[in-house]
Amino acid sequence: MSQTVTISPLTRIEGHLAIHTETEPQPGGSGVQVTQAHCEGEMFRGLEVILIGRDPLDAQQITQRTCGVCPISHGMASVRAQEQAYGIRPVQNGRLLQNLIASANYFHSHILHFYQLAALDFVDVTAVLNYGGSDRTLLKLKAWAQSALDRKDVFPVAPFLPRYEGDYVSSTEINCALLGHYADALKIRRTCDEMGAVFGARLPHSTALLPGGCTQKPTLERILAYRSRLDEVLAFVEDVYLPDLLEVGRQFPQYFEIGRGWGNFLAYGSFDLDDSGRKFFPAGTFIDGKWEAFDPRHISEDVSVAWYEDGPARHPYDGETRPKPGKPRAYSWIKAPRYRGLPLEVGPLARVLVDYHAGDNGWSRRPVDAVCEQLGLTPDKLVSVMGRHVTRGLETLALVRQCFRWLDEIAVDQPAVTAFELPTSGRGAGLVEAPRGALGHWLTIEDYKVQAYQSVVPTTWNCSPRDSKGQSGPVEKALEGTQVANASQPIELGRIVRSFDPCLACAVH
Amino acid sequence: MAEISRREFLRMGAVLAAGAGLSCDAAQALAAGLERVFSGQKRVLWLQGMSCTGCSVSLLNSDEPGPVELITQVISVVFHPTLSAAQGGLVTETLDRLAEAGDFFLVLEGAVCPKMPQACTVAGRPLTDLLPPLLKRAQFVVTAGSCAAFGGIPGADGNLTGAMGLKEFMIDRGIPVENKLVNCPGCPVHPHTMVTTLAYLAGVGYPAVDPATLTPNMICSASVHDDCPRFHHWQKQHFAEHFGDEGCLFKLGCLGPLSRSDCSHRQWNGGINWCIRAGAPCIACTSEDFAKRKSFPFYRLGEKYHAVAYDDADRKGTTT
Repeated sequence: MSQTVTISPLTRIEGHLAIHTETEPQPGGSGVQVTQAHCEGEMFRGLEVILIGRDPLDAQQITQRTCGVCPISHGMASVRAQEQAYGIRPVQNGRLLQNLIASANYFHSHILHFYQLAALDFVDVTAVLNYGGSDRTLLKLKAWAQSALDRKDVFPVAPFLPRYEGDYVSSTEINCALLGHYADALKIRRTCDEMGAVFGARLPHSTALLPGGCTQKPTLERILAYRSRLDEVLAFVEDVYLPDLLEVGRQFPQYFEIGRGWGNFLAYGSFDLDDSGRKFFPAGTFIDGKWEAFDPRHISEDVSVAWYEDGPARHPYDGETRPKPGKPRAYSWIKAPRYRGLPLEVGPLARVLVDYHAGDNGWSRRPVDAVCEQLGLTPDKLVSVMGRHVTRGLETLALVRQCFRWLDEIAVDQPAVTAFELPTSGRGAGLVEAPRGALGHWLTIEDYKVQAYQSVVPTTWNCSPRDSKGQSGPVEKALEGTQVANASQPIELGRIVRSFDPCLACAVH
Repeated sequence: MAEISRREFLRMGAVLAAGAGLSCDAAQALAAGLERVFSGQKRVLWLQGMSCTGCSVSLLNSDEPGPVELITQVISVVFHPTLSAAQGGLVTETLDRLAEAGDFFLVLEGAVCPKMPQACTVAGRPLTDLLPPLLKRAQFVVTAGSCAAFGGIPGADGNLTGAMGLKEFMIDRGIPVENKLVNCPGCPVHPHTMVTTLAYLAGVGYPAVDPATLTPNMICSASVHDDCPRFHHWQKQHFAEHFGDEGCLFKLGCLGPLSRSDCSHRQWNGGINWCIRAGAPCIACTSEDFAKRKSFPFYRLGEKYHAVAYDDADRKGTTT
């Protein structure tokens, strides 16, 4: 007997997502196994349509509102698209400050993702009731939870309870350590937003970011404000985040086998190192175990089963957004981006694999080999739930270290923005890497106004629905075959989906 | 050691009151409000409509109280879509039980879309169906950010969903807004604005608001322009000509005159920076008209090349 298992809404992600799966009884067990999965994006705003007819310079402000978790990525994609259309490049200071603002947004996003969004699938928060140590934060949390339970609150210990029951970490010591780090992470991610604001004016939604650089001049005071916070972030990533990732990996080794997905990857590359196009995170694809150069002409978006007017799969320059809620056989607001017709996974894992297989000089070679050795894994096991978490941590550390170099390259007190003129017409593609993966904005200007604007966003790739050929999206594929111990508490499915760090406001926009 | 102490509440109350320019009495009332929320008497339900989660992220940037105290002790969050462990059926059960229990504060982040209800659903149910019973049962309703307050960017010119702010929606549905709905605009909302408003509602009651916008007077009275640190440049008619220049940012597009907020006092991200200080023109993200009109861009560079549909007075807010 097949059974439908649904998580709706799927929380602790950004936005409105529902997961629907069909399952079969697990042979010889009490659980079920997923036979097919569907990702449903539940919210549509139509930002691309809202941009049509606007002054193009509004775009980096409007598009930052695609996502309040990674606004800078959208700001950067828009800025790059505009720079191409305007025929300008940022001055060196502008490029450096843009990199530093975008990096700070990565750190906040990755740390928030692991501790606030994903960790509650692994950590048993009720362990704090047995806490016997002397940490002030944990003692406060213990007293708070205990008093809520004693008072018999209608909703005790929210937002940590209620939750699915399942195979959480059993050690009180490890649970309490991770819970303490949950609290520390809230503070350190706030520090990351402060770093973004040092040069970006404020976070979320930077007003200082512009085509050609940013309005904030890099004074010594600004540089020191960023650097002192970067020191704190470095300490947290080295001493807390990475060790925690490895600990959770050791506690849940089976999750290096679960949630593999298609195993095909795409990265646009990001963080310009100079004007030559060299990037700290390189571009490329890794498909069927082979590295290839990336060519943006192979991108298309399919709307066969998305709530839009039917039409052929289109390259984003020719893309359109014509909503059609209630379209028969459609099941999501998310379009289905494909690369040479293939659904590809994007994100930290894709970036790491593209870098790792690009050659021997990438940043990832040593850290990936070291972490695999520590965990007794081969690199192909990183294509998994836990691998996505671990690679997110590895690139965080690499980028933190790179930020110190960028700070050193700044020309103090010199301007950070290029003057520019607006063209009558033109077009540009802004291809960057958001924390969640490959992000592209395609802009066409006519008569000084936006004539067309299309965004293809990381979660559009990862949570995409099926296409005209019936191919599942990457998250859908990763769910297929998963064994769920208790169909009424499908904690395993939530762990798989969250490993992709979905952002639904991004995916649909 | 165990419980958060009264002294801590008094300190937080004082900080919030000082930030909003309120008296010592108000500080004590805010402290009492915080304590009441903490003791579980005032539960907060946080829902998201057509949002980007930026206002939730901004709330987590709160520095006094800090984010840990905020979500575990100060605001008794029954449910928050980004933070709650609950998922799937546990969420819908929580919402149903809360609608039954009543006596909670409802916070909405994001716009609502009654003209295309399928454009925003939670667990398959249109938000526009889910909201009315909760709005009726809530003691107070607070919007977090300009989308929920005024429609914001989803409600800008050319939108296909009919996105609107909560006040318009409540009036449409015959749900009274008087002494119930408080608008906390901003894109995103400033964390202090949210925390101060919630503490005031719990400790004192419904605040004095602007009758048209329903924004709390204690936060949204003066304009950014009134208290601008570059105001002396404006007086001397010393205008920045290019991005990154010194001087008043008005000719680059600054909309400080149209933005009612206390950004110039509180600044952003713990006071590390804010738009004007960074040389970035204010985009009036707290205003009712924020981002609404295609013909009213944030920046004025386009004026060099083509005719525009506004004049200086529109951007100074001096037209009637």
